[in-house]
Amino acid sequence: MKRAAIIGTSAIPVSRYQTAEGDPVQVVEHEILAKLVIEALDDAGVSKDDVNAIVCAQPRPYTRQKYFSTFMASYLRLRCTGIVMETMGNGMTAALAFDKAVDEVVLGRADVAIAMGINMESAITSSEHMKDSLRTTGDVDFHSPSGFTPISWYGMDAQRYMYEYGVSREQLASVAVKNRYHASLNPLAQYRKPISLGEVLAQRPIVEPLGLFEVPPRGDGACVVVVASEDVAKQLNKPYALIKGRGFFHEGAHQINEVPNDMIAFDAATRASSQAYDNAGIAVQDLDFAEIYAPCTIVEVLAGEAIGITPRGQGAIWAAEGKTTLGGQIPVSTSGSLTSRGHPSYATPLYNAIEVADQLRGRAQSRQVKDAKLGLMMNELGNYNAALVHILEAVG
Amino acid sequence: MEILNVNKERPYPPRVTEFTSPFWESLGEGLLQTTQCQRCHKLSFPPKPICPHCWMDSPGWTSIKHTGTLYSWTTIHASPAQFSNDLPYTVGIVDLDDNLRVACRVLTKDGIAPTVDARVRLVVVMYQDGPLLAAALAG
Repeated sequence: MKRAAIIGTSAIPVSRYQTAEGDPVQVVEHEILAKLVIEALDDAGVSKDDVNAIVCAQPRPYTRQKYFSTFMASYLRLRCTGIVMETMGNGMTAALAFDKAVDEVVLGRADVAIAMGINMESAITSSEHMKDSLRTTGDVDFHSPSGFTPISWYGMDAQRYMYEYGVSREQLASVAVKNRYHASLNPLAQYRKPISLGEVLAQRPIVEPLGLFEVPPRGDGACVVVVASEDVAKQLNKPYALIKGRGFFHEGAHQINEVPNDMIAFDAATRASSQAYDNAGIAVQDLDFAEIYAPCTIVEVLAGEAIGITPRGQGAIWAAEGKTTLGGQIPVSTSGSLTSRGHPSYATPLYNAIEVADQLRGRAQSRQVKDAKLGLMMNELGNYNAALVHILEAVG
Repeated sequence: MEILNVNKERPYPPRVTEFTSPFWESLGEGLLQTTQCQRCHKLSFPPKPICPHCWMDSPGWTSIKHTGTLYSWTTIHASPAQFSNDLPYTVGIVDLDDNLRVACRVLTKDGIAPTVDARVRLVVVMYQDGPLLAAALAG
């Protein structure tokens, strides 16, 4: 099999772009994405004729244009020998787009594949938006009628974690402070003004014990990531991020395990990361940084523990001690993570891929991890019922 | 199980199928039933017309205990539009003594927060249009 690499990226800063129904001048998704495709190809140094696959994260239901990937092939007049398709997998949606683009390259169906995603939702109120996302959070007839929201499961994770490990609210909330500091250094981040621990703790509750600054904000975003065979990457004579290992695991449960288990162990993350370390031929200690899909502070803590970068029960304490801050022992989510970089859900994993590529291509500027050689990216769905892990390496 | 009548409709009512109707009918009478495999004898919840463990079809119905432990809980302060009249409301995960995990509302008294690992019992909240499970603190 061939090896694949990220050779180019582009994105708009996470912000509010969506226009309201009825606004006289509208913002449409394909105009934004088409420009990003050209920017990303320029960044990569390849041309339109080199591209032969498009994998697009399925847009939100608010996006009027349907059959988005085939429409984009037409809008860009891209003829493809590899696949043209959309992916869907809850929070993992855009990670699947990236993963499938990598597949097309390693299987030799495409020399250059584009993974892209756009998520527009900010003009829809949270309570309206959740009318639909209510249907995603368990069995629609046996769980949803009680009023669970997607992040209510993370609230329950936090409650359980604090109880089991005696971790304090302050220690958990320090994850949000750390991530806001990282976001202050990231031009793609939605919220960049540094915040104090006191400010995090003073926010109104959303899903107890988590308050406003420990849950994801609403926002819009769009990303393009160019994936190419290593042969193509080498010919470009500039740094690239080689996909060195992959791992995936689905625990066979949707949101909740009907047989009582250790819900906060995030077993899927452990299994997927272990497979990825083996596949890459590395150990967890070899990682220079990790970019983790974590909609809430608690999720970063649990996921970090599950993949072995922090000891069990110590994740929040490590964050409070600065060990996961830029310059610390293992920087986690140097992008600012979902709470501060923002969470345009169906594009978020591609923002994670861009952060990893920026670090490994030495382009992260003031948030650059020194001598970054190996980075891990993990994305998830549900309450980490499934995890998809990629390990990337700096080359050139 | 205790049945608590409330004078409103369910904000997001479940669908009843031909298969699950015995569950909802017995719940309305205060009885908790679910499916049990006739081959591997494992219980499943929500009730299903197949055994998710061994994939045997045609499981039977069995009564289960309505007592258990509160694995975790949260109080929701931002909800889908359908539930805005209920805000804030508490939900939780209950590990039943019969080794099944269910998730439902947690009924709180006088605004006192529940505690993790508290003993709970399931109750039936009978809305005008049908029943839903909820957990109440034992004792």
